[in-house]
Amino acid sequence: MNTLLKLSWVFLKIGAFSFGGGIVIIPLVESDVVMKYGWLTKREFIDAVTLGQITPGPVVISATFIGYKVYGILGAIVSTVSVILPSFLMICLAAQAIKKFHGNKVLANFFRGARVAVIGMILEAGLSIGKSSLIDFKTIFIAGIALICLLKYKLNPIWMLLGAGIVGLVS
Amino acid sequence: MEQEIRKQADELYRRGLLVFNQPITRERLKLVIELWQKAFELYHKIGDESKAREIEKSLVNMYKRKSIKMEKKEKQRNNVAIKFRDWDLFFKIGCFGFGGPMAVFTLLENELVSRKKILTDKDFLEGAVLGDILPGPVTMDIVTYTGYKLKKWSGAIISTVIFILPAFIFMIILAMVYSKYNITPKVETIFKCLGAAVTGLIVSVGLKLGEKEIKDYRGAGILVWAFTSSLIFKFDILTIVGLAGLAGMLLYPRG
Repeated sequence: MNTLLKLSWVFLKIGAFSFGGGIVIIPLVESDVVMKYGWLTKREFIDAVTLGQITPGPVVISATFIGYKVYGILGAIVSTVSVILPSFLMICLAAQAIKKFHGNKVLANFFRGARVAVIGMILEAGLSIGKSSLIDFKTIFIAGIALICLLKYKLNPIWMLLGAGIVGLVS
Repeated sequence: MEQEIRKQADELYRRGLLVFNQPITRERLKLVIELWQKAFELYHKIGDESKAREIEKSLVNMYKRKSIKMEKKEKQRNNVAIKFRDWDLFFKIGCFGFGGPMAVFTLLENELVSRKKILTDKDFLEGAVLGDILPGPVTMDIVTYTGYKLKKWSGAIISTVIFILPAFIFMIILAMVYSKYNITPKVETIFKCLGAAVTGLIVSVGLKLGEKEIKDYRGAGILVWAFTSSLIFKFDILTIVGLAGLAGMLLYPRG
């Protein structure tokens, strides 16, 4: 029980302070999970992060793996819920608050600028993911086909991803 | 005779008014119109033109105002909370949420904005802004925000849980395999091809959104700035979004 509480506390903390996405928090997790409590060895921890990147969903899903290693299925559930909870509550409260300030012109302008920045970062994400994954003729071909299918033929991207996965499996 | 008709007309008008004062629905609106129409005809028959004109005017007025208001209300209700039942959509996206927050963002955008037209681009980008500003994985933030927009707290809980479920199950299986054999399965080639497809996906949505959202040189400037500063200077997301927001506050008119 004590371990479960500790596990929950560690991941609540991580969930509350992980600004800007997964990779940033990995040193934070390591210092608690490996150094302080010794739940995992260094090697196991690196594998956990790798698996977190392989599986769909955000990298914090590594919490599930770590939780499982520490306390079985129950540990996995506790740590996953804990790592999601802080941002879940904050985003809901923020969505609520935004509605109240809807008439506020200054805030509206803030969002107007920030929205555009998000688009810029989407394009940048496309570029940087492309740089690491477009490595040969085949992958460039897949990306090109995907772009045409989506922009011109409005194909459902879920099917497109499935297709690409199958190509990867076969080749 | 004339007095009797007048009494009847008064009664009809009064009944219509009673119905009119209750919360309006399509059926009630129909009833009111029917009652007042009859009253109007009766007044007309006994030659009380001023009363008839009065009713005619309120009929026209009511028809205009109430029907517009009601249609809007009905549309809103139908569009968002009540009609949305495809929560399995989040499961599908949860299965394919490789490649970080932007991939999930683009998948959700495609389903909810482009296809089903349940949310607007603006709602969506606002969710992403909040996700960047607040702690926690941006992917989760966007999913939770979308769920909240669709059905308040229950929507947020449903969407978050359903979205995380595939990854959770997958991870548990991997952890079991790992604990038993101490190896990590080789799935890299699959993910290489998925990464390529995700690139196409992200670029297509970026272009589509940019076309819609950017209307003048100010927007274009902020876009270019955000793009280059995350590409070249590797600024933190929080910094980029925050500064872009401040720029928006300064550049756009207050009035």
